[in-house]
Order: sequence, then C-alpha cells, then structure tokens
Amino acid sequence: MRKRAIAASIVSSSVVVLVGWQIGTHTQAAESSATLAIPAPTPSSRASASPSATPAPLATPAPPATSTTAPAPSPNAPATTNTFTGSVASTRYGNVQVQITVSGGKISDVTALQLTNDDSRSAQISNRAAPILRQEVLAAQSANVDSVSGATYTSDGYLKSLQSALDQAGL
Amino acid sequence: MTNTTQRPRTPNRKRSSTQTNRETLVATRERARNYRSRARSADLMGILCWVSVAVSIALYLAYSGASQFTDPGGMVTAVGIVTGLAGTDLILLMLVLAARIPWIDHTVGQDRAIALHRRLGKPALYLILAHAVLLTIGYSISDGTNVIAETISFFGLGSDMILGYVGLGLLVLVVITSVITVRRHFAYEAWHLIHLLSYVAVLVALPHQLSIGGVLADGTLQRVYWIALYVAAFGSILVFRFAVPLVRTFRHRLRVEHIETIAPGVFSIRLHGSDLRRLGAEGGQYAIWRFWSWRTWWHAHPISFSAMPTDRTIRLTVRELGRGTTRISRLRAGTFVSIEGPYGIFVDQARTAPYLSVIAAGIGVTPIRAMLEHAHLRPGEATILLRGTDQSEAYLWHEIGQIAQNTSASAFSMLGPRPRHVSTWMSAHALEHGITLESTFPHLHDSDLFICGPTAWADEVVADARDAGLPEHRIHIERFDS
Repeated sequence: MRKRAIAASIVSSSVVVLVGWQIGTHTQAAESSATLAIPAPTPSSRASASPSATPAPLATPAPPATSTTAPAPSPNAPATTNTFTGSVASTRYGNVQVQITVSGGKISDVTALQLTNDDSRSAQISNRAAPILRQEVLAAQSANVDSVSGATYTSDGYLKSLQSALDQAGL
Repeated sequence: MTNTTQRPRTPNRKRSSTQTNRETLVATRERARNYRSRARSADLMGILCWVSVAVSIALYLAYSGASQFTDPGGMVTAVGIVTGLAGTDLILLMLVLAARIPWIDHTVGQDRAIALHRRLGKPALYLILAHAVLLTIGYSISDGTNVIAETISFFGLGSDMILGYVGLGLLVLVVITSVITVRRHFAYEAWHLIHLLSYVAVLVALPHQLSIGGVLADGTLQRVYWIALYVAAFGSILVFRFAVPLVRTFRHRLRVEHIETIAPGVFSIRLHGSDLRRLGAEGGQYAIWRFWSWRTWWHAHPISFSAMPTDRTIRLTVRELGRGTTRISRLRAGTFVSIEGPYGIFVDQARTAPYLSVIAAGIGVTPIRAMLEHAHLRPGEATILLRGTDQSEAYLWHEIGQIAQNTSASAFSMLGPRPRHVSTWMSAHALEHGITLESTFPHLHDSDLFICGPTAWADEVVADARDAGLPEHRIHIERFDS
C-alpha cells in the first residue's frame, strides 16, 4: 500500500507539472506569435550586453542620415509640431502605448501613455526601460533600436506602438 | 518482585466454539475492511500533499512556459518564484495538518499529523528564505544593479512588499522558537502565543504574492486556485479549532462535579454535563480541556477519558506533573470546563487483528481502561499486562481487573523497578526470569498491541514488538509526556 502510494504520488505530481509546462509553452507560443507581428528590431548586429550604460554612442551613426534630410523641410514648417498616438500593443504583462511629438519632420519626443503594469514588478521593469527606449529612439529617429535587456516584452510593445505612430506621421 | 497473577477465567463456556469462531470471522473481516479503507485514506493524504506541491510548481510553469529560462537573471528569478510558491504551499499544508480535521484524525491520528507538521516546518522556512534571496539576486541581474540597490528598490514597490518582509521575519521567529532546543526555554503558553503569529505571517504575505509577480495576476486561474487554498487552510482552522469546540463547549455545558485523589499524586475528576453521548467519544480517546478558574484558564490540558462517558458524566484521571496539574486538583466544584475533541485513534475501532494485547504503565492505564470498557471482547480475546514500579502506581488496576473478569481476559501485572544497566520496559526480576513479550501475550502474532505509558518506556515496548515481527499497523501507541 505504501509503495503504491509513493508511486501514485510521483506519477500524479509529474503529470501535474507536465500539464503546467504544456499550458505554459502553448500560451507562450500564442502570445509571442502575436508580439512578433511588429516590425522587430532585427537588423541590429551588435550585442546588447550592457543595456543601460551606453545606448546612445553606438546609435549615433544612424541619426546623421536623418538629420541631413531634416533641414530640408524645416524652412517651410519650422514651427509645426504634431503629435501622433500609436496603437495599443498588448503584451502578457499589460498594454503599451506611446505618443510621439514630431516637429520639423523629426521625432522630438516620445511619451509613454501606457506601460506594462499588470503587476508591480512589471511596472518596475517598464519604468526602468521606458527612459532608455526613449533615448534610443530619439537618437536613432526610428523604431529600429535594440530592446532593453530584462524588459523584452515592454520593449517589443513599446517599439510596436511607436512604429504605428511613425506610420501615421509618415516618417 | 514480580507479582504475576493470572485472573481466574470465568466459566463462560456456554457459547459453542463455532459461534465464537463465526463472531471472530465477522469481526476480523470488518477490521480488515476498516484497515484497508484507513490505509487508502492515508495514501490519499500523502498523495494530496505531494500533488499540492506539484501544483504550486505547475502554477508557475503554466504562467511562464520556457520563456523565463533563457537568461541567467530570468532563471534565478524563476527558481525564486517557484520556491516561494512551494514554500507557501507547505505552510498552508502545515495549517491544515494542525487544524484537527476529523478526517485526518480518524485516518492517521492527530499525533502523526502533528509529527508531519513539525517535519515540514524547516523545509518550508528554507524554501521561503530561498525565495527572498533568489528573487533579489535574479531581479538585480535582470536590472543590472546590485543586491543592496535591488533590496532598496523593493521597498519602492509599495506596502505589499513591506508586509512580505514582515511575514518573513515572523516566520523566522516562529520556526526558531519551535526548534526543540530553543523551545525548551519557553513556557508552553509563551511558545504557543508566538506560534500563533504564523497565521499572521502567512496572511500578511498574501498581498505581495497577488500584486508583485504576474503568476497570480488578476483574472488568472492561478489566482483563483491560490486564494481557494488560503480559504481552505484558514477555513479548516476556523471551523475545527474554533467553531466546533465552541459549539461543543456550549452545547454540553461541562462543569467540575467532584475531584477525588485515588493514589499519591493521582486524582480523578468527574465532570457533569448534558447530552454527552453526542460527543461520540470512543474509549481510548482524549480531549483537550480548559478549566475556567482564575488560575487555570490559560492552560489547556490534553487528558484521556478514564472511563466511557455516560450521557451526563465524564471521568478524567490525571497525575500531577507540574504546577498546572496541581492547580487542577484544587479546582472547586462547579468550575466551567471547555472541551476540544474527542480526538485519537487509540480505540477498538482501529484494530486490525482477531486478538487484543494491551500493555500499560503508570498513568497510561487511563485510555486503556476506557478502551477495554468500550471494546466488545469475546471471552479470552484480550490479554492485559499492567506495569508499575511499586504498588502506588496500581491505581485503576482493579477496574481493569473487573473488565478482564467480565470478558474472561487474562490480566497480569508486573511490579518492580527496571534493571539499572539494561534498557528494557520490564522489571529486573522479569528480565532475569526470561519473560518476553511473546511469553506474556500468547496470541501476540494474531493481535493488535496497544501500548500506553511514558515515552521512553513505550519506545522500549515498541522496539521489542518490532523485533518480535509485529507489523507496524498492529502497534498502537499513545504517548503521554510529549
């Protein structure tokens, strides 16, 4: 009787854990396929080892190209400042939505309207990631930036929403 | 000096032996059925314990999938969350085990449930400590900060986290005070008061579980399960440790009627109450009593019934062990008494074999006395050995002798001190004369052995019984000083 009980415990516990694992991988697969629909920041070749310290220096090679085109429209509309609101990107940790301010054909600011905040830990992560992402985007003038390590979901959602705002702005 | 007297077998041979055999057969079959169903329940309990731990791990896996195991920070965090869930699950199990749920008491007995409760204490604490340490490290790796900065940032997560730390502190306090070497320095009541803080510890830890991580986030099945677990654990404590005893106490309205000294330092208390059959007490069970006088109300005493309760009276027999029990001996008639119980499976119902062997020492005769009274014994079914150092420990023996006479049971006594240099349950004299468990109990191998007496002594009997090849489920033991 005892041996049977031990065997039954092992079997049923393993089944429970396996079922949990299955559910987890399936929901993960479903969710990540949804998030992958965004224009992912794939082309970057550099390793994103140190995220917070120096996002700007390496991103600078890109802006010169944009900034050379920028002076062209500036004479016509130096004062036109428009805001564009990106669509809501939903992630497993909550929704992300950003708003960009475009002045003179340039992204002058990025504001996060919503950040992943389903739980306190997610809110903490996204509060850390948002300023870094903003810096990177302003420097790169595109959604083509690295995601912040340790904040993959927030970054993906952030950049997805940003891209839709950029599309509206025609940038 | 061994005083081995066989009681005269009363000539109760009118019944034909075939009749007796049929009765034996029916009783044996019923016992086998009872035993199987209890063993199944015990197995089920064990399985439920393990599965509940597995579920706590599955809760996390169902949430994370494989995504968290890709980077070192995520991995440490994942293990940290799982240890927290598993540790909390163990603590909730501990609450359930301590809740005195009737099903658990009938299946394995409250003493074994509490033994398991004790064994789970340290693993639970270690898991919870690992949870705190691993999550701090895991988060700091992910955030690229150090452990101290991360700990400080935890307090920025709000009051839930602070409550979580409070819970952790209380838990450490509770477990440390329960470690045996530390526990000795506390009075039982002081220790118990600290121990009750574990309820607070588990409760204040709940908010951070629900709000900090995503595993138990709002709207998930995980959250529903987890809260249900909390409700079940605290609900069972509330019902079986508070509501049921309260209802019984006020239904039966027990009062001290009479206290009588029956031997030096030993006294019987007669309680008077109403409708006492509804308690459903079985012979051999105990209850936890509280005597509501000024000097005794704060002390709860587990005491066996020393006779089967009638509808209006209960008899308890107590030996003075300390100040608490001495104060009880001076209680005035009319003192209100509250009851938790009856509990225990030191009862006829728990038997599994056709014969009954009984051995008791000192105050251990009390549950034996009630158990024998309650049991339906065939003539010659029981063999009883009563052990005492001297004649002063022979209280209640004449009552047991009377029961033995009525059921044609063999009753022996063994008086005399234990030998000085040999560890044995027997008297020096009996040991010299080659007396053994098997020579005392002719049907030992076809019987359940009921043992009741001081722990050290009882352990010796158990060791002998095991040596004689008696299977574990036929050894029934009630310890009296733990």
